[in-house]
Amino acid sequence: MSETKTYLEIRNLHASTEDTPILKGVDLTIAQGETHALMGPNGSGKSTLANVIMGHPAYEVTDGEILFRGQNLLELEPEERARLGVFLAFQYPVAIPGVSVAKFLKSAHDATHGDNKLKPAEFLKELRENIKYLEVDDSFINRYLNDGFSGGEKKRMEILQMLTLKPRFAVMDETDSGLDIDALQVVAKGVNKLAGADFGLLVITHYERILRYIHPDHLHVLIDGKIVHSGGSDLVKKLEEKGYDWVRQEFGEEVLVG
Amino acid sequence: MTEVAMEKPVDTLPGFDEAHFAAVLAQGESAVLTAKREEAFKDYVNIASPTRTDEEWRRTDPSLFPIADMKRLPNLPQVESLPESPWDAEFDVVIAVQADGFAIMHRNGTAAELGISVLSLAEAAEQKPELVNEYLQGRALPANSGKYEAFNDAFWNFGLFIHIPEKVEWEKGMLIRYQMDVNDSMLIPRMVVVAGPQSRAVIAEHLESPDTVRFMAVPQRELYVAEGANFKLVSLQEWGLNSYQITNDWGLVERDANLNWFTLNFGTARSKMKFGSDVAGPGSAADMDGLFFASGEQHMDQRTLQIHSSPDTYSRLLYKGAVKDTGRSVYQGLIIARPGAIRVDAYQTNNNLVLNEGARADSIPGLLIDADDLKCSHGSTLGNLDPEQLFYLRSRGMSEHDARQALIMGFFEEVVDRIPQKFIQDIVHKNIEEKMEK
Repeated sequence: MSETKTYLEIRNLHASTEDTPILKGVDLTIAQGETHALMGPNGSGKSTLANVIMGHPAYEVTDGEILFRGQNLLELEPEERARLGVFLAFQYPVAIPGVSVAKFLKSAHDATHGDNKLKPAEFLKELRENIKYLEVDDSFINRYLNDGFSGGEKKRMEILQMLTLKPRFAVMDETDSGLDIDALQVVAKGVNKLAGADFGLLVITHYERILRYIHPDHLHVLIDGKIVHSGGSDLVKKLEEKGYDWVRQEFGEEVLVG
Repeated sequence: MTEVAMEKPVDTLPGFDEAHFAAVLAQGESAVLTAKREEAFKDYVNIASPTRTDEEWRRTDPSLFPIADMKRLPNLPQVESLPESPWDAEFDVVIAVQADGFAIMHRNGTAAELGISVLSLAEAAEQKPELVNEYLQGRALPANSGKYEAFNDAFWNFGLFIHIPEKVEWEKGMLIRYQMDVNDSMLIPRMVVVAGPQSRAVIAEHLESPDTVRFMAVPQRELYVAEGANFKLVSLQEWGLNSYQITNDWGLVERDANLNWFTLNFGTARSKMKFGSDVAGPGSAADMDGLFFASGEQHMDQRTLQIHSSPDTYSRLLYKGAVKDTGRSVYQGLIIARPGAIRVDAYQTNNNLVLNEGARADSIPGLLIDADDLKCSHGSTLGNLDPEQLFYLRSRGMSEHDARQALIMGFFEEVVDRIPQKFIQDIVHKNIEEKMEK
């Protein structure tokens, strides 16, 4: 911790929606270049944490702070967070009929790369490369964003957006849910392309399977709005071997759900 | 019991009485047209003026239209030519209509080579009675027309007759552009289009007036789409914000024919518009696409009718609208399946974006079914932009303003995408952008 630079720091985060407290004091620190995994039962607050990091207006932060490279994200609009390099791969990406993938990605790229906008031709070249890399069909870019996309296509679209926008820090909210092995490998490919010293990642998941493709440095277990257990590679290994059922048994999730 | 002859009271719109009508006739035209006007005038005085108690006018008070202030333009004279406009090059024929006259301009010999008639109604009645008379006698409109249909029939001051002969495929088609700029004037255009059997054609209309000009239009369009024909009409209405409009438009679609009709409405202070199609022959189809955006203090009222008077017919309607500021829109739709109209597919969708409090959209879909064995659906939505969609776009770096714009533009895209002319798509985009910014 003292050797590596702190990238994202969440301190005593409390958040609620419609007056129901969901996060009840989350502490989490991610150093530059690290990948963290966050696991926990349904209803534990995983998605709420992801949405609060991005600034979803439906959640109210009642206490605590989120610092990203020293800046308090909670003071910023969602688009300002995106421009700092924060990215959220949504669990359930919404469809936006009438807005084509290509047009949307160009607008998003322009918005997040204020001083380094690409010319349309350069942008398209890069986009085509990413599409090829992610083994996505070429016709994708002319379709309306997520409109009529299958679950797997939507997840690939999220990863394509991540590759296009090149964020500094990304939260992947159950991107692996509902994906077959092929699609999961594509997701891993995308993540591994961005991985490096300038990238931090928080992978929220329900299944140990993804940990075989994306190797986190740290793993946290979130239950009832609090991180109850954190560990390094030992914990990751244990989870890979014993599976998520072990977490269930260890932390008696059925008692805590709800 | 003795029968008492009850004389109906004469009901005329303010300023449009018998004396005015006599003056219209005194302008002189062919006997056929005069006879038609006289017949129409009799209907006109016998049909009661609409009031707010009529269901059709319940949400749009007829007194909102300042008919008394509007002076009917004399029958528009035909002139040789009028100045060009940037879009003319896209078409073979351009008709320019202004308050002081109109010009029918052939940009090349295509229409003549194909035997297409593009004539004023006066010309048509004199030169091509064998073609036009049939359509002056019958009507694409249903028998029990209303006050304004009869008014238009009696008082029209600009008439057009377009005839596309059998099997003719008219690739580029024509543009009719209206540019009106005379205060307190009334334009009453009447257009009859006949797409002959197995013909294919597209007509675009562009209606404009400056925002500063107070003006009223009472147009009527009759479209006859003959057996196996494929006809498209794209009507882009950008009348100025100080103008008024009451329209009655009808399309009659014969066996195996196809009508695709776009009504794109951005202008006027107040408008009341009726668009009806009758898929009247087996195997015929009507696609009706509409787009409207009422901002500022605009009030737009649209009524659509999808009549199925034959079996094995199809109609699809999609009207998408937005209201903003204190803008107000009314959509009333009706699908009518006549007795015997079996194996019918009829779809009606009206989606509305209400962009702020104070703006209002009313959506009243309806079905009137006298047949069985048919597939029919109607639906409408009403609401502001979806917060999840907004958050999604903002999370990718787009400002709230840009995200809203993208969503509004996207909302309309389903209709815009179908418009056959790229330049009209561009004008529509520009109109939507301007409305969003104001």
